[in-house]
Amino acid sequence: MIALHILEQRLLAHLRNGPEFPREWCAQGRVDSDVGLSIYANAYHSRLREALESDHPQLAAYLGDTLWSEFCTGYIGAHPSRVRSLRHFGVQVPAWLTQHMPFAEHAAIAELAEFERCLLDVFDAADGGRIAWSALQALDPDAWPGVRLGFHPSVRLLPTQTNAVEIWRTLKEAQPPPAAGPSATPARLLWRDAERVSRFRPVDAAEHIALRAVFSQQEDFATLCEQLARVMPAAEVPATAVGFLRQWFDEGIMSQLHVASDRAPAPRIS
Amino acid sequence: MIERDGIARVSTPEARASGVRPWHGYGLGLRTEHFDAVLDEHPAVDWFEIISENFMVAGGKPRHYLDQVRSRYPLAMHGVSLSIGSTDPLDLHYLRELKQLARHVEPIWISDHLCWTGNGGINSHDLLPLPYTGEAIAHVVARLQQVQEFLGREILVENVSTYVGFANAEMDEAAFLGEIARRSGCRILLDVNNIYVSSRNHGFDADAYVAALPAEKIWQIHLAGHSDYGDYVIDTHDHPVCDEVWALYARTLARIGAVTTMIERDDHIPPLAELLAELDHARRIGDAVAPSTLAVCA
Repeated sequence: MIALHILEQRLLAHLRNGPEFPREWCAQGRVDSDVGLSIYANAYHSRLREALESDHPQLAAYLGDTLWSEFCTGYIGAHPSRVRSLRHFGVQVPAWLTQHMPFAEHAAIAELAEFERCLLDVFDAADGGRIAWSALQALDPDAWPGVRLGFHPSVRLLPTQTNAVEIWRTLKEAQPPPAAGPSATPARLLWRDAERVSRFRPVDAAEHIALRAVFSQQEDFATLCEQLARVMPAAEVPATAVGFLRQWFDEGIMSQLHVASDRAPAPRIS
Repeated sequence: MIERDGIARVSTPEARASGVRPWHGYGLGLRTEHFDAVLDEHPAVDWFEIISENFMVAGGKPRHYLDQVRSRYPLAMHGVSLSIGSTDPLDLHYLRELKQLARHVEPIWISDHLCWTGNGGINSHDLLPLPYTGEAIAHVVARLQQVQEFLGREILVENVSTYVGFANAEMDEAAFLGEIARRSGCRILLDVNNIYVSSRNHGFDADAYVAALPAEKIWQIHLAGHSDYGDYVIDTHDHPVCDEVWALYARTLARIGAVTTMIERDDHIPPLAELLAELDHARRIGDAVAPSTLAVCA
């Protein structure tokens, strides 16, 4: 008598790691038990590999067949799926790539994987409202310093140290990728627009600061301006900050607008 | 049955209560490749089946299209993660999400597979075979009863294709499935292709399999394709339905009467028109062999 839980343990171990399931536990049917077990084992590995390829098509193209295969074998062995949906099977791919040679030697590889995971998150992130610029304009100017903003749930801010996104873009267009190198900008902004199309663009150092301030959800517009003042002349801050806001509203990525009632009026920004 | 607009229909809740097999006609598996065609062309499909897990996401295109299709067609929810035969604890988080999705979709029914998918917290993402033992029946029935109580409805359970059998089997698959349906109250989603695949792999009589099942429990049929390697057959769902499966489908309907049917294609997804042609073929067989006397459920 083979207890059900033992049978399941041994069969799953067999699928993952090779001969673990006693042949005498198999009934002899038309199909030899070795063949039957190998059908399940092959399906186990190929399904996980297909999930990685589906989520990371440009990473696969960048690595080439040999390194991609080495990566899949290593990742699938190190991270058996503990998630319900294959959509999340590769969630630890970027971290794994930073920890294992030869991938860890090239920062662009993990960053390329991180960018592809961000795109997945943008695709099926929660829906949310989109606030028009006119809503901010309608506020009493004295209220602006205390305004706290919130992005649409699909918005992601990806810090970039390499040109991985440029590599991704050229591979996507079936062009030869550029040599790996440093990023021209400190981050990329990704979001899903009102037509449910995923978009991304580079952000410069000043906008990166402003975006991080909004993402923190702790800082109001006045604090955002104070942080910008550390990297640019104070006289340029108001126009720069308002310019960022205008762009974000026009891009349709603002979902929340809170007006603090307990903050003292601050200098008008116009 | 209720009368509405002079047309006889089966009310699903009443049918559930009375145990009468409802009739929903001929459906297709809803696939992302066909989202726009379904909405633009409004094809003559009675209902669509969704993979439940594909829509357990926060938002974006999947949920948008789900709502659009739902506003035009009845939907059935077909899951792959229940893992009803696993000896791991039931995944209550999954069940909560399933119930939440069902509340949103209001499906004609919810189905999953008679299998296990993981053990020890590790998910194989495959539909793995159970040993046909009394122990496994007791285990599955107890879990089905928990699931059905949680969801507030009976579910449909589908036979899977298998490539190994177990030496400790105390009965054949049909007896195993039938006993689980009788004791748990679940219905059967009969995958005719899976019967064919397993009958080839294990050498049993596919018609005898159908004959051994409690006919009144069979509420839905899946039709699909497979890959034939000569010595064995793999259930790949990436080919058209083959002649042998069509023939088994016809004999099944002749034996048990009209059953709500759908074409299930999971890979190498062809243009929608190709699947509609396959569905018409199923409809022609159904009309010829076992015409339903009922209008499709509203």
